[in-house]
Amino acid sequence: MLASLHAAPAGPPLVSVDGVQKTYPGRNGAIQAVASASLTVRKGEFVSLLGPSGCGKSTLLMMVAGLESVTAGSIALNGSAVTGPRKDIGIIFQDATLLPWKSALENVLFPVRILKLPVDKYRDRAHELLRMVGLAGFENKKPAELSGGMRQRVAICRALVHDPDILLMDEPFSALDAITRDQMNVALSEILETYHKTVIFVTHSIREAAYLSDRVLVMGGRPSTIILDMPMPFSRPRKFDIEETAEFTQVCRRLRLSIEEAHADASASPPVRPAGSKAE
Amino acid sequence: MANATIGTETGASLKLPAGTAIRSLRSVGLPLGLAFLLLAGWQVAVTVAKIPPVILPSPLSIAEYIVSRHDILLMHAVPTTLESAVGFLLATVLGVALAILITYSSLARDALYPNLVFFQLIPKIALAPLFIIWLGVGMQSRVAFSVFIAFFPVVIATTAGFMNVDRNMLRLCRSLTATEWQVFTSIRFPSALPYIFSGMKIAMTLAIIGVIIGEFITAQAGLGYLIIFATARADTEVSMAAIVVLCLAGLLLYGLVAFGEWLANRAYSAEAL
Repeated sequence: MLASLHAAPAGPPLVSVDGVQKTYPGRNGAIQAVASASLTVRKGEFVSLLGPSGCGKSTLLMMVAGLESVTAGSIALNGSAVTGPRKDIGIIFQDATLLPWKSALENVLFPVRILKLPVDKYRDRAHELLRMVGLAGFENKKPAELSGGMRQRVAICRALVHDPDILLMDEPFSALDAITRDQMNVALSEILETYHKTVIFVTHSIREAAYLSDRVLVMGGRPSTIILDMPMPFSRPRKFDIEETAEFTQVCRRLRLSIEEAHADASASPPVRPAGSKAE
Repeated sequence: MANATIGTETGASLKLPAGTAIRSLRSVGLPLGLAFLLLAGWQVAVTVAKIPPVILPSPLSIAEYIVSRHDILLMHAVPTTLESAVGFLLATVLGVALAILITYSSLARDALYPNLVFFQLIPKIALAPLFIIWLGVGMQSRVAFSVFIAFFPVVIATTAGFMNVDRNMLRLCRSLTATEWQVFTSIRFPSALPYIFSGMKIAMTLAIIGVIIGEFITAQAGLGYLIIFATARADTEVSMAAIVVLCLAGLLLYGLVAFGEWLANRAYSAEAL
């Protein structure tokens, strides 16, 4: 990828979310998880949804994935409206969610088998992906024999194996320890240098969002909306030591203040944790 | 300091194999030893107290009978074992089928599940004579009764297994537009296997009980028949011998299920092979 001052690549929007709302039926009336969210993600862009627990960011991601219905508004992906699950996305969850009885390689090939693609043709790609994430030699290990970070690397390979246009990542590293998490951030940006994918990344870590993203969207408030859309002014490829620069600290402060502002505005109303959002 | 550390390390490494040997000796030798002691105590008690064989025959005389009349015992063991196996297989098929129905149809789940649990509260043995009225004195009534008391644990365990699937795994499948059949074969069934086998193991022992009860009520052959027949003639030795053979048959059938579980475990193990 070419280094540019503003890393956000120019291109046609690949994902467009337009006035999307999500309301769950609750015991005391409807619970609004997402009030009204609009955003666009361009091809090749890495966009983070940043916000505190229960702010509806995971719900928004699942709506983009077609795994949750929208109450109002519309989502288009790759030029067609999202009406249900689709094959041009790859999903990564907080837990690796691997089949415990299958080897790492077989887990990576799982989407290939489900999508009835020719397994022989994809085996080389699966090997290559595993090598790329530093798991060469671990192809035949079962998930129980791998560390948490390694399992999540397998999950990333699995999300990439059928070559989807868009990666949707739902707090993929928040179950990992801080050191492994930093390593995974570096590994992910390296992977994306090779496989140029459009990514929507849900996180509640400000530093993680700032380090990885081209653009960070802060979600917050009750009911929740997108309250800040901020491009990250760091060139690519990024070294992990950008986290020690004054600029990085400033960006993080800006993001944190925006989250705190939204929280202060919303603190009067009771916390909302709709059924679809995970514990964070 | 350094010496002390080396000393303990050597000590530990020397102790380890000895420790495992002692542990395996313990886990095998101890139960066998206790069983032998109890049998020996039984033998001595019967001999010393001069207990009449009608009340309690000695272990040695039972063993002698088993060896000398193994032809008769085997003849009676065959129908009991076969009927138990058939009852068990049918109970498993019925149980898994009902579990699939309960898992996939909310209508079936809501209609069936509470009734199944209520059904479980019936003292089912009380219904055994009715099976003779309905199905006659042949093997079909015994097999049917055996299925009747054995299928329930399979349904409950298998349903629990099918339901206990990682939610994100199902989401992943949905996001890949997997068909229900693909989800069943690649996720639900393999992750339910340990549950299915635990239900099957219980069903195996219940299936034998079902057949024996059937044979108690009406039969012309079988170990249950032999036990009732011999007891009526105060032939306690024969009854006891039949019970021992019944235990061996049960062990064989249970062993087959356990072997199937071992095979399934090998194919769907989370451990390295």
